[in-house]
Amino acid sequence: MSDVLLALQAAADTTRAYGEFPVIGARGAVWVAAEVHLMFAAFVLGVPLFAVVAEAIGVVGKDQRYDRLAKEFTRLLLVAYSATAIWGAVLTFLLSTLYPRFWAYLTAVFGPSMWAYVGLFFFESFTLYLYYYGWERWHQGRSKVVHLGLGVLLNVWGTIVMLIANSWLTYMMTPPRDITPTTDPASIKLWHAIANATWMPINIHRLIANVVFGGAIVGAYASYRFLAAKTEEERAHYDWMGYVGNFIAISALIVLPFAGYWLGREIYQYDQSMGITMMGGFMSWLWVIQAFLIAVLFLAGNYYLWIGMGRIPGAERFRPYTKYLLMVLVLGAIVWGTPHTMIADARELAAMGGSHHPLLGALGVMSAKNSAVNLMILTTFLSFLMYRRANTRPVVPWARTGTWIQAGMFGVAALVVLYFGIKGYFVEAIVRIGYSVYQVGAVLACIVFVTTIDILMGRGAQSLGAIRWGKMPARSQYALFVLAVTFTWLMGLMGFARSGIRQHWHVWQLVQDTSKYAATPALGYAAKMISACVLIFLTLVAFVFWLGGLAEKSTFVPSSEKREKEGARVGH
Amino acid sequence: MWGTNLRIVLVVLGTLALYTLIANKIPQVQSEVPQTLTLGPNVTTEQLVAAGEKVYNGAGGCTTCHGLGTRAPNLLTDEKGQGPIGARCGRREPGKTCKQYLFESLDNPTAYVVAGYQPIMPVMTRQLPPEQIWAVIAFLESQGGTEDVTGADIPASAPPSPPGGGGTGAGGVAGGSTDPMTLFRAAGCVGCHKIGAEGGNVGPDLSHVGARRSAESIRTKILDPASSTARGFERFAGIMPKTFGTTLTAAQFEALVRFLAAHK
Repeated sequence: MSDVLLALQAAADTTRAYGEFPVIGARGAVWVAAEVHLMFAAFVLGVPLFAVVAEAIGVVGKDQRYDRLAKEFTRLLLVAYSATAIWGAVLTFLLSTLYPRFWAYLTAVFGPSMWAYVGLFFFESFTLYLYYYGWERWHQGRSKVVHLGLGVLLNVWGTIVMLIANSWLTYMMTPPRDITPTTDPASIKLWHAIANATWMPINIHRLIANVVFGGAIVGAYASYRFLAAKTEEERAHYDWMGYVGNFIAISALIVLPFAGYWLGREIYQYDQSMGITMMGGFMSWLWVIQAFLIAVLFLAGNYYLWIGMGRIPGAERFRPYTKYLLMVLVLGAIVWGTPHTMIADARELAAMGGSHHPLLGALGVMSAKNSAVNLMILTTFLSFLMYRRANTRPVVPWARTGTWIQAGMFGVAALVVLYFGIKGYFVEAIVRIGYSVYQVGAVLACIVFVTTIDILMGRGAQSLGAIRWGKMPARSQYALFVLAVTFTWLMGLMGFARSGIRQHWHVWQLVQDTSKYAATPALGYAAKMISACVLIFLTLVAFVFWLGGLAEKSTFVPSSEKREKEGARVGH
Repeated sequence: MWGTNLRIVLVVLGTLALYTLIANKIPQVQSEVPQTLTLGPNVTTEQLVAAGEKVYNGAGGCTTCHGLGTRAPNLLTDEKGQGPIGARCGRREPGKTCKQYLFESLDNPTAYVVAGYQPIMPVMTRQLPPEQIWAVIAFLESQGGTEDVTGADIPASAPPSPPGGGGTGAGGVAGGSTDPMTLFRAAGCVGCHKIGAEGGNVGPDLSHVGARRSAESIRTKILDPASSTARGFERFAGIMPKTFGTTLTAAQFEALVRFLAAHK
């Protein structure tokens, strides 16, 4: 009997294909293990990116604060790496015992890449040890550059590890079309399976999302340390750290939708029915939840900035404008969250008076939503700009002209967004889709050119006073917590969307899920699972943070306190 | 410090609770697994309608487009003053009963595309077994019309036919004919592709396909439609069935390939 026939016979035998797990079931167990592992993985990939960039800024700008910031986070990585590995092992054991047949299929296709994955994990771990424990030894001159190189190498290993793992999950979504259910998995060329249709879009999307996630977790850590700080110096430092984390998270978030758009396009191109299931099928309500979460991110991010302006001398002149910015954000969020293309039964359609709500139907279409989100991005950018300029007054002779040019750029970008938004109502869908490129292009061009002008205009600018780091009300720090929780929840939700569109297939149209958990659950159940995963993750991260503080005192032990103690000792 | 910790915990739990609550308040739609229906010749109309409703709202995936009213007509509500689908199906095509019209719409969807909509519907007789097809028809008839599907219809429709209703199996489509144009129509190619003046515009015009593709390339494209996508038709990628390699006989397949390659 050939291998193929053996494989077919095995496929028909579903009795040994699945195991059972108490209480939450096999699917629930794998869900929790995979999601928590993924959250830790995003943490240990996002934070090194954050750390090495912070270290580089410290080296180039000769600012020790950044160097200390980088070291503090690398210390947390040591524990987080262990947690990632533990959850990875849990996931592997659960898959091999609860989904043995599917796991055997994956190992038959990807076996060698799994060996490489484990090998790279060794390199990654030991590079991390060198990076952290060598910090003080290689802290200046040429050795500092070598140390920085270790940080880059750590990120290289981490990124390759992520690329390998991504190939497994993207193969499950979009296996190459020439592979059929009867193809012997051992005969599939490894690279052919790796380089599937969604592999690269997921790689890019996750890379950016990891930066966002890293920034958000850094922000949450800083806010915790800020609230727990006992001295002004410590509070100032963690206030600054929270700002940096929030800045990085929101900046990277702005480009994330474009990577998501590419991924969605690839899914549609691979299989239109999969794309329709994702955007207009049983998952359509998911995008309303997503819109709500992103609205929370925008509002919380901007709120944090506006409160932060209270500690910047000179920011008073911008404060009156924040209420208008808030209005734009709220209106944008309402439009973006308007349900439109939803599955409705006869009763719901009758209650609505048609396939769309008579009043809100016009706001729920992509023309309105794209316009809303682009205006929200412009508004957030304006908040950052005001924050950035708050304590300076430009002195270059062309400052007034430059400011008018900047205002003009904002105006033109907003007009382009609105023009194509309105025009989109009067053209066919295929033309309308193209308009989103013009809208996004106008917003990105505005961001790039306005920032460039601002940097040039800020040369030699007159200072209106230093930022009073640490002078932040506690409520601002809770906004950072909301950001971290929301980013983490959003990651769980999007993971459900990506995985759920496979529906009752382990590998799309190749390996069918014949277990009793084959039906993809509704959003309510998914939300409970996501919340449970986020809670587990955040609890463990809090433990990691606590351990970080336990193992080594903060590098910001207040010098004044130290002096007092030393003084006291001398006095005795 | 304990007060701060408690506030942090409350903020985290409150945020999680809010998101979980909202996600549980919206309509809950679960993606069902297609299941085999066992409906014998003695099945009652009520059983068929009930089974059809389940397929329509679940495994059939019909609501993905027909539940919106944007991609496809909503079948359960009034469409341009003609009532729901059961009331209007008998008037859609002259000489065809409601039952005939609905079956052909599922078997060869591109034949009757309602004005204002794109021909994007997949061939449902390829996706669902005959029992589910006829159950869906009975359910659609029940929406304002008269259900006349019986158990006798089910065996008459098996095995599932290809687009055009030409029949499948070892004999291929169109009774085993190797006349290329007959095959082009019977295999359903004409629903999406144009040759000369005949055919749809979902896929590229094949009137000069031989000038663009070699016979080998055409062969590959038919067997593996995802191997390439013509420029300008990306949005329809994934629609072309992947089953022509099994529904056509070798002689039919080669006749079709030679025919297309000769259209330069």
